Amino acid sequence: MTAPTAARSGASSGGPPSREGTGRVLPYPVTGQEIVLIAVIAALWAVLALTTPAFMTSGSIVPLLVATAPIGMIGIGVTVVIVTGGIDVSVGGAVAVVSVVVARSLVEASIPLPLALLLAVVLGGVLGAVNGLLIAFGRVHAIIITFGTANLFRFVALQVFGGTTVNGIPDTLGVLGRGGAGRTLGIPHSFVITVVIAAAAWYYLRHTAGGRHFYVIGGDAHAARLAGVAVLRRILMAYVLTGLLTGLGACMLLAQGTSTLAPNVGLGLELTVIAAVVIGGTSIMGGRGGVLGTLLGALLVQTVASGVTQLGWPSQLSPLFIGVFILIAVGTDLLRQRTRRTS
Amino acid sequence: MSAVLAPPGSSGDARGHESSPARLLRVLLTQRSALLLLLLVAVLITFTIASSNNYLTAPYDVGYLSVTLINAVPLVMLGLAELLVITSGRGGIDLSVGAIVSLTSMVFGFAYGQWGWNLWLAVLAAAVFGGLCGAINGVLIAYVGYPALITTLATYYAFSSLALVINDQKPISTAPIQDFYSTARAVPVPLLGDDALRVPLGIVTFLVPTAVLVWLLLARSPYGRRLYAIGTNDVAARWAGIDVRGTRFTAYVLAGVVSGLVAVVTVAQFASARPDAGVSGNGMALPAITIAILGGVAITGGVGRVAGVVLATLLIVWLNAGILLAFPGNAGGQFQLLALGLVLVFAALLNGYTNRRYRGEA
Repeated sequence: MTAPTAARSGASSGGPPSREGTGRVLPYPVTGQEIVLIAVIAALWAVLALTTPAFMTSGSIVPLLVATAPIGMIGIGVTVVIVTGGIDVSVGGAVAVVSVVVARSLVEASIPLPLALLLAVVLGGVLGAVNGLLIAFGRVHAIIITFGTANLFRFVALQVFGGTTVNGIPDTLGVLGRGGAGRTLGIPHSFVITVVIAAAAWYYLRHTAGGRHFYVIGGDAHAARLAGVAVLRRILMAYVLTGLLTGLGACMLLAQGTSTLAPNVGLGLELTVIAAVVIGGTSIMGGRGGVLGTLLGALLVQTVASGVTQLGWPSQLSPLFIGVFILIAVGTDLLRQRTRRTS
Repeated sequence: MSAVLAPPGSSGDARGHESSPARLLRVLLTQRSALLLLLLVAVLITFTIASSNNYLTAPYDVGYLSVTLINAVPLVMLGLAELLVITSGRGGIDLSVGAIVSLTSMVFGFAYGQWGWNLWLAVLAAAVFGGLCGAINGVLIAYVGYPALITTLATYYAFSSLALVINDQKPISTAPIQDFYSTARAVPVPLLGDDALRVPLGIVTFLVPTAVLVWLLLARSPYGRRLYAIGTNDVAARWAGIDVRGTRFTAYVLAGVVSGLVAVVTVAQFASARPDAGVSGNGMALPAITIAILGGVAITGGVGRVAGVVLATLLIVWLNAGILLAFPGNAGGQFQLLALGLVLVFAALLNGYTNRRYRGEA
């Protein structure tokens, strides 16, 4: 690999790298991976619409969007974390902590909606800060710390559960749920909120200096520090952001559930979120990726899950397809990088 | 290791004059096995004292400790599988071992429980099948260049899904499988008499052979030297004429073979081939990775030893065994999570501190 190639690919976040002379510094607004994803999702929806008449009805699309919302929401944070070269496998545990605390507060203190949301976001932020502080200042690889905190969070959640389920959760969070209260003009609120936050994150990551810093750190943390980027503070921010969004995502999951919350809430969620992020074209090595892809990745994962049930196949088959999609998505990205390097 | 790498005259000189407490501290921090041994002794002493003061619901004695070793069998074996792949470097990790255990359990269940294969043939089939699953990971990671975390996440999904679908989510527990349970029982140690000490048979039949073989492979064979070389610096290894791809590929295949054998152990333990054997609850992969990291395997590759993994497992298994006696019922399982999480975070922070203090890393 020659030096100019390395310098160019280091700063780009997917899509064709900048070309000398054209003055393009930023990558294209929509990357190739995202266009492919849109096409794949469109094709899947078309096939499903033709084979199962029930798919293109609001009774099927709305739950699909509602289910996509929390994965996409948490995925926005995890995208930023992975862009910095880190990873967070503790979001499932964090969801368990936040949802059980919020659920018990709803049941026992009947707290109103704004307070519940505030509680969830603050609590999520605190859990994210624990990860961020340990990773940034303990200088330990993120996967080790978040494996550890995943266990710790799950312990805290089980302690709050106290050995049973939380029953009789009131419908305070209904505006985020799948029911009638969760929709305006047929569009689920939770999905709209996720899209709005994703749009804000997209702008922040792409068009502000602070946002670009995350990519610089993922490209080369040492070079970033020498260039004056506050590396540790940015890394801490990425995990706190993930925590805040996980808190919000936990509220959505809580609202989508029944009035009973079981202790296995959030189990395996971290892997679903990471799947959505990498299908969306974010490189696990850091330095490349974006939230638009993550949102599409979450939509694809949920479309597969929904499609498998709609076709009457056993629902246990959907992870198989998700696995295959992960391999295809990462494989096309590898191919594109390789052709870019040789051209 | 660090003494060899350190430039002469810098830290080497200071080390010559260090006091014996400082030397002890350095050994404890840089030799993971020494630290684990110390912690293990601390755990054993703590619970023995608690036991003799009747704080525990049952005696924490040698008999109890040897029976709980049954939990160590899958942990050590999968920990060793992770040791192989993490040591191979370039972000090596295997999230799919639990899913391979599930899928191979079902294959073993079919072969031994339904098609009436000979036991040895069925065990061999399980090992080969596990190796094939590992080979899928290995080809994608070593030859195609996929990141290990993503590849094994994808195959985790695929294998666990297949395991559930293959027999319509039903476990296989036919007569041969149920009789197979007898191989998981605890047997008395010969020469000590019938009641003295009972050791789970899986220790002798699976754990010790696997640990010895992996040790021979890593510490006493050319393959081991190649594996450490590619894990430390795969570009340098390539220039040194090592087949980097083949070596890394083999690590994933071996991890698959070990997972296949764990499937046999698991079937024996549950007297049933369960489709979710390796992925139910927290799954088997996360504890295995935790054990490997706790055992001193560097997540960046190139560093890790069998002794560390074995000691880390004993520490966790006997700590968990003590916790179960101290907090009966649900609380015990919860405090095990707390202990595992704390020990892992503590070990990781210690690694970071050690690297900065003794290896001069920024």
